Amino acid sequence: MTFLIISQILNGLGLGMLYALVGVGLTLILGVLNIPNFAHGVLYALGAYFAYTIAKITGSFYFAMFLSPLLVVLVGFILESQGVRRLYHAHHDYQLLFLFACALIIQEIIIIFWGPIGFSLLAPPSLSGAIDLGFLIYPKYRLVLICFAFFMIICLYLFLTKTNLGAILRAGIENRDMVKVLGINVNMVFLYTFGLGAYLAGLAGALSAPIMGLTPSMGLDILPICFVVVVVAGLGSIPGAIIAGILIGLSQGAATIWFPEATNVVIYVMMGLTIIFRPQGLFGVR
Amino acid sequence: MIQNKYSFIALIIFLFVGPFLFPNATITEMLIFGIVAISTNIMLGYTGMLSFGQALFFGTSAYISGLMLLGGFPLFLAIPVATLGSFIISLFVGYFCVKREGLYFICLTFAFNQMFYFIAYVWTEVTGGEDGLVGVERPTYIDSQLTFYIFTAIMFLLAVLALYKIVTSPLGLIFKLIRENASRAEAIGYNVRYYKLISFSIASTFTGLAGSLYVLIHSMVPIDQIHWLKSGDIIFMTLFGGVGSFLGPLIGVVGYIWLSDTFSIIWARWPLIMGVIFAIVVLYFRGGMSELLENLFKKYKAISRKTEHEQDIKNTKLN
Repeated sequence: MTFLIISQILNGLGLGMLYALVGVGLTLILGVLNIPNFAHGVLYALGAYFAYTIAKITGSFYFAMFLSPLLVVLVGFILESQGVRRLYHAHHDYQLLFLFACALIIQEIIIIFWGPIGFSLLAPPSLSGAIDLGFLIYPKYRLVLICFAFFMIICLYLFLTKTNLGAILRAGIENRDMVKVLGINVNMVFLYTFGLGAYLAGLAGALSAPIMGLTPSMGLDILPICFVVVVVAGLGSIPGAIIAGILIGLSQGAATIWFPEATNVVIYVMMGLTIIFRPQGLFGVR
Repeated sequence: MIQNKYSFIALIIFLFVGPFLFPNATITEMLIFGIVAISTNIMLGYTGMLSFGQALFFGTSAYISGLMLLGGFPLFLAIPVATLGSFIISLFVGYFCVKREGLYFICLTFAFNQMFYFIAYVWTEVTGGEDGLVGVERPTYIDSQLTFYIFTAIMFLLAVLALYKIVTSPLGLIFKLIRENASRAEAIGYNVRYYKLISFSIASTFTGLAGSLYVLIHSMVPIDQIHWLKSGDIIFMTLFGGVGSFLGPLIGVVGYIWLSDTFSIIWARWPLIMGVIFAIVVLYFRGGMSELLENLFKKYKAISRKTEHEQDIKNTKLN
């Protein structure tokens, strides 16, 4: 039983890391551009599908993990510069609806190119198999995933707190108009933010592929979870999104042990509890 | 006001001509989603709240009325109970959602929608889970196509008239005030949150009414009627028709259902085309079809006035 609990907690932690990555991406875009990115889910799916195809063509899993999020960034840049930017003068509801339309389009493009059937992307031999931790035998890839996602989150944290661009992004979340007044090219900031958000979504998608497989609906399934992460975290809080993502992953892992049929409902229960007891979100101030 | 008179005449004509233009299932679906879109517009167009969770009420109410019909209750009990059910849920969900504004409101309605979806998905014994609720039978008195159409049309007209009364009442004016300037409304002394909740509940209750009728079309409730994509469709229909006028969303519904029916026969990946149309509408025609028609109408009027004027000049010259 303890093995089961520990392994489920580790599973939940892995999931939670993925949720944290997508959640932070969504939070960044939400905070700086002021739009809930409805295309975030399909960007996640694109990350996974790009990784699958690259790994198939080049045969290198690591190269796929490196390149596919960058391709997703490219898609993000196109969405921002061709669509969202034209709508800045309109109400931001329209930017949201534009992204929703893009989500529908990309969703269908995925089905056209890769077909309606799911795939599985296998981890390379060096990462597959299990590792003996002494008290527990655990799949190697999942463990590597947890460490790598943790490393990426640290990198992101350092980027946001220690670099100039990171400071500008954080300032953009706090007060967009003030950033504009200080003479910073806001269009550039928006573009970079959208790109960074897309990168995180694509990376999470690519990383998730060996665990959860690829299905055309994966983008539509992850999107509500991202939104729950944002609601639980509090709007615009990056550390909040990281912690909320991990918490939701862990609670899903825990639910798998005791109520396996309720794994998908438990995240909404978490959201319900949050909005009842702390309506502004765990880390929200507004 | 005159424009409203014209559009109501057009609506009546449509109700008579519609059954000859479209198959029975399509035209009844148009009327049912017409209720949804027009009521959603009360919230979206009049009050200025974008909710991404309208499928929640549509689907839940469809499930309630479907289950009651399966349980042997008469239709005239099932519809009010289902509508009342979505009213109560809308008060509950709305209470939490209207506490927050803008983006947070959208996120919350969206997440609530998915919460109810998963409840329907997991609760297989009651809702049928992934297969949906099947085997609901229409009562015998509306079994034929004609009687079913007349029944739906009457329900539709009643709903539209009720909604029109709401929009033209002082309450409707308060909604508009909140859209235009919420802080001024607050300053004048209106409890903005309370009126937002009313607007949310009106839209959701009528959406629920439509949901309770929807179950009769295909005698089943597919689970995707409660999925968040349906909420997106509802917003699209409303926006496609145009949020600027009362009956505008109906044009959007007719257009959306007609287009999706047509494309779905031609190409299995038809949502792609709908997505492209959606993107074009958002980018270039934010007023929707009704504004487009209105502009054409105005242009036509301007031209006819111009020719009249020229005629007048000619006449004076002749004299």
